[in-house]
Amino acid sequence: MRSELLKQAQLAVELGKAAGADDVVAGVSWSRGLKFEWREGRLEKVQESTSRRLGLAVYVDGRFSTCSTNDLDRDRLSGFARDVVALTRCLEVDPHRKITPPELYEGRSTVDLDLVDSTLANLSREQRIDWCREMDECSRSDEIVKTAENWVSDSHGISVRATSNGFEGVEESTGVWLFAEVSAMDGEKRPEAYYYAGGLHLDCLPTPSSIAQEALRRARARIGSEKVSSRRTAMVLDPEVGASFLGRIFGALSGGAIQQKRSYLAESLGKRIGSPLLTLVDDPLLKRGLGSQHYDGQGITCRKRTVIEKGVLRTYFIDTYYGSKLGIDPTTGESSNVIFEHGSGDLASITADVRDGIYVTSWLGGNANMSTGDFSFGLRGHLIENGEIVAPVSEMNVTGNYGEILEKLVVVGNDPVPWSSFRTPTLVFEDVQFSGA
Amino acid sequence: MPTISTGAVHSNSMYYELFGVDEASLAAVIAVAMERGADYAELYFQQSRASSISMEDGIISRASSSVDRGVGIRVLVGDQTGYAYSEDLDLEAMRQAARTAASIAAGGGGVPPQGFRGRSRQDLYSIAEPWEAIDVARKLPVVQELDRLTRSKEPAISRVSVNWRDGDSRVLVVNSLGEARADYRPMASIGLSVTAEKGDEIQTGYASRAGRFGVDHYTDELLTELCEEVLDRTMILFEARRPPAGEMPVVLTAGAAGILLHEAIGHGMEADCNRKGASVFSTMLDMKVAEDCVTIVDSALHPFERGAINFDDEGSDVERTVLVENGNLRSYLHDRLSARHYGLEQSTGSGRRQSFRYPPIPRMRCTYMENGPHTRDEIVASVKNGIIAETFTNGQVAIGAGDFTFYVKNGWLIEDGKVTAPIKDVNIIGNGPEALSRITMVADDLRIDPGGWTCGKDGQSVPVSQGLPTTLVSHLTVGGEDA
Repeated sequence: MRSELLKQAQLAVELGKAAGADDVVAGVSWSRGLKFEWREGRLEKVQESTSRRLGLAVYVDGRFSTCSTNDLDRDRLSGFARDVVALTRCLEVDPHRKITPPELYEGRSTVDLDLVDSTLANLSREQRIDWCREMDECSRSDEIVKTAENWVSDSHGISVRATSNGFEGVEESTGVWLFAEVSAMDGEKRPEAYYYAGGLHLDCLPTPSSIAQEALRRARARIGSEKVSSRRTAMVLDPEVGASFLGRIFGALSGGAIQQKRSYLAESLGKRIGSPLLTLVDDPLLKRGLGSQHYDGQGITCRKRTVIEKGVLRTYFIDTYYGSKLGIDPTTGESSNVIFEHGSGDLASITADVRDGIYVTSWLGGNANMSTGDFSFGLRGHLIENGEIVAPVSEMNVTGNYGEILEKLVVVGNDPVPWSSFRTPTLVFEDVQFSGA
Repeated sequence: MPTISTGAVHSNSMYYELFGVDEASLAAVIAVAMERGADYAELYFQQSRASSISMEDGIISRASSSVDRGVGIRVLVGDQTGYAYSEDLDLEAMRQAARTAASIAAGGGGVPPQGFRGRSRQDLYSIAEPWEAIDVARKLPVVQELDRLTRSKEPAISRVSVNWRDGDSRVLVVNSLGEARADYRPMASIGLSVTAEKGDEIQTGYASRAGRFGVDHYTDELLTELCEEVLDRTMILFEARRPPAGEMPVVLTAGAAGILLHEAIGHGMEADCNRKGASVFSTMLDMKVAEDCVTIVDSALHPFERGAINFDDEGSDVERTVLVENGNLRSYLHDRLSARHYGLEQSTGSGRRQSFRYPPIPRMRCTYMENGPHTRDEIVASVKNGIIAETFTNGQVAIGAGDFTFYVKNGWLIEDGKVTAPIKDVNIIGNGPEALSRITMVADDLRIDPGGWTCGKDGQSVPVSQGLPTTLVSHLTVGGEDA
C-alpha cells in the first residue's frame, strides 16, 4: 500500500509538471476506520470507513493554488491537473509563494517512531463487542445511571508526500480508542460525563471496565452541582483540561498570526512571557507520540525545540510562506508533541497544598482573543477547601488575559495525560477571576 | 463527468446518470443491504465541489478547490444502525459497502423495492447559475473590491484578509421504501478579517455573509454593509472594556443572538438525546417552560439560508417545527429513527449529515424566536444595570445538565436604563430551562443573522442559521472582571 500511494503521488507530480506547473507538491492519503457503538445492552451502531484522497499544490508563474479529490482515476487526474494549472494562471503573483527549499528537507531522522501496531489488523468483531459489553455492564452497575453509551474505534492511516524538487516521504500510524459516557439522574437534570483512553498501540489500552468506572465516577461527581459566588482565587487545572487552555498560546506563536498582527506575542521572542516554572518543549520524535512525525506539512524536517524556557519565549512556528513575508528563517509550521518539563507532584499532592480554589474538570465554551490575550471560558469543576476537593460547581466563567495569567502559574505537576499530543500536567494559577452567582 | 444545470429541473434520471446508476443497480445494492433482514435501507449519493480564494496583504495569495463523491449506505434494524460508505461508485464496490452495513442485522432476507418514485417539493435555493459555471475571473473582482473598500474607509486598518468560499453538493437519496429524491444544494460565503492599530494597541475583527445564494448576491450594497459592520465592530474595541462579573440582566440584540436558542434549547430538543433520556428536556414535553411571549421555531423553509433544505438527508419532507409555542414545549426535532421510537407517522425533516461518510442524526436547521409584544427601546429602558450582547463567536451546551454558554465579542453596558460604555470578550453561561423561564421581554424586530454559522455534534458539522428579536433574559452569569 505504501509504495502504491507513493507511485500515485509521483504520478500526480508528473501530471502537474506536464500541465505546465513550475513546481508541484502532491500528497496522497489512505485511511480505514471501524467504530462499534454500544448502548443499553446491545450494539447500536457499526460504522466502517475507507477513504483515499489526493491533494495537489501547484506553483505557476509565481502564482499558487491547491486542490484535492477522492477520484484517483488516472485518466481523470490529468484533466484535474490541467484544470488546476489553468485556474492558477488566473490568480495574482505572490512573491512569497515558493516551494519549500530542498535544504529544509535535509537531516530527516530515520528513527522508527513506533507509530504502527500491526496486530490491530487482527482485532476481531467479537473482541470489540466484548470490550463494549464490559464497559456497558460496568457503566450501568450503578442505579444512579439514566443511560450509558460506549464505543470502540480503531484506525489505520498512511500519508505520502512527493514534490517536484526531490522530496519523498511516507508516514503511517494506527490508533485504537475506548470511550464511555454516562448520564446520571439528578432531579430533572441528567449530568453527563465521559472518559476515554487509547493510543497508537493495543497495549496502550487500560482495561475497558476502568474506563467505564472513571466515566461513572465523573458523572457521580457532578450530582448536586451548584452555582457559587464570583471570586478571585486559585485555579487548579486537571491534566485533561490544560491542553485546550494553554494550546491557545500556540495559535499566537504561528507565523500567520504574527505577520497578520493577530498575536499579543508578536514582539516577544527572547522575552519573558510567563512564570519561570513554564518550560515547554516541542518533541516531534517522541516514540509512540500522538503528534510524532519526521517532517511537517511543508516537508520541513522536524526537530525537537524548546518553545518556552523558564518563562522565556524561545521560538515561533514559522512556515516558509510567512517566514518569507516576515523576512525571517522558517522553523516549522506546526507543533507536534508538547511536553512540560521540570514539573513535580500529581493532582492529589498538589491540591493538598491549596487552601482555597476552583478545581477545573472540564470547559464549557468560551473563547480567547489572541490579538490582546483576553480570554473568558465557561467551566465545570469543584471547590477546593483546605486542600480538599469538595462540592461540584456549575455555571461559572473564568476571565482574564493570557499575558497576566501565565505569570501567575505557581505549580507545575508531573502527571500528564498520555493520550494527548499536548501533554499538560496538573497546573495551578493563583489569583484568578471567576464569575458565578 | 456529466454536469447538471440548476433551475427548475431536478429530475432523478439526471442524477442517476451523474452517479452512474439505474433502477436495477440501485435495487441490487438495496437488496444486498437488506439481505440479513434489515427493516430499512437507504443509499445517499453525493457529489460535492468546493472552492475558496484568499486575499491577504492586497494580493490574491491562493485559491483552493476540492471534489468529493461517494455513497453512504445505511441499514436500520429496529433502533440499530449499520453504516458504511464507498468512494467508488462501481456496482461491486457498492455491494461490498452494503454487505458491511448489513452486518448489523442477523436474520433472513428483506424485500427490496421494485421501482423508485420521485416526490414533488419546493425549491428554496434556486439560483440563476450553478457555482461550477462561475469562472474564477468573475469572483476575483468581488474579493478585490471588498479589500479595496475596507482599506479606503479606515486609516487605522493595517491588515485585511478576505476569504471567499463557494460550492455545491448534488445529492440523491433512494431507499427501500422505493422513494428517490434528488437535490442541488449551493453554498457560498465571504468573510472579512481586519487588524486595526492605534499606537501600541491592536484590535482585530471579523464578519461574514453566507447562504445558499448565487454570485448575483454580492452587490455593492452588500459589500459596503459587510465592510462597515467589520470596521464598526473592530474600532469600538479600542474603547471597550470587560463588564463586571456575576449575574445580571442580559439584553440580546436582534440577529445572531439566536445563538441563545441554539444552545439553551435547540440541542436539548434534538430527539436522539431525548429518546435515550439524556436531555434535560426529556421529561418536559407539553409543559409550560417559558412566558407566553416566547415562541421558538426550527424551520427548514427559509429561502437561501444556510439551514434551508428542500428535503432532509434521509429524503424526508421538511417543515417548520414549533419547539415552544406561547411558552409551552411542543415538539422535539426528529429523524426517522426517533420518529419511529416516539410512534410518529413522520419525522420533522431534521435528519441531517455532514456528508455521505456519516449517518444522519437529528439536527437544527434555522432556529429563531417569533416576534413579541415589546420594542427594543422599552427593553433597554427596563434594565437598571446589565449588558447588551451584540456580536458572538461561538457557543456550547451540555444537554444533560442543561448548562450552556456563548461568547460575546461586542456589547454594551446598560446603566440606569441607558446604554453607556462598550464591552468586549466575555463568556456568558446559564442553564437552558432556567434561561427560558427568565425570558421576560421579546421585541418585534426579528432578524435572521446573515453570517455563516456551523453547528458541530457527534463529530459532524452542518450549516445552520439562527435569529432572534431583541430579547431580555432577566439574569445570566457574565464572565466579567472585578467581583
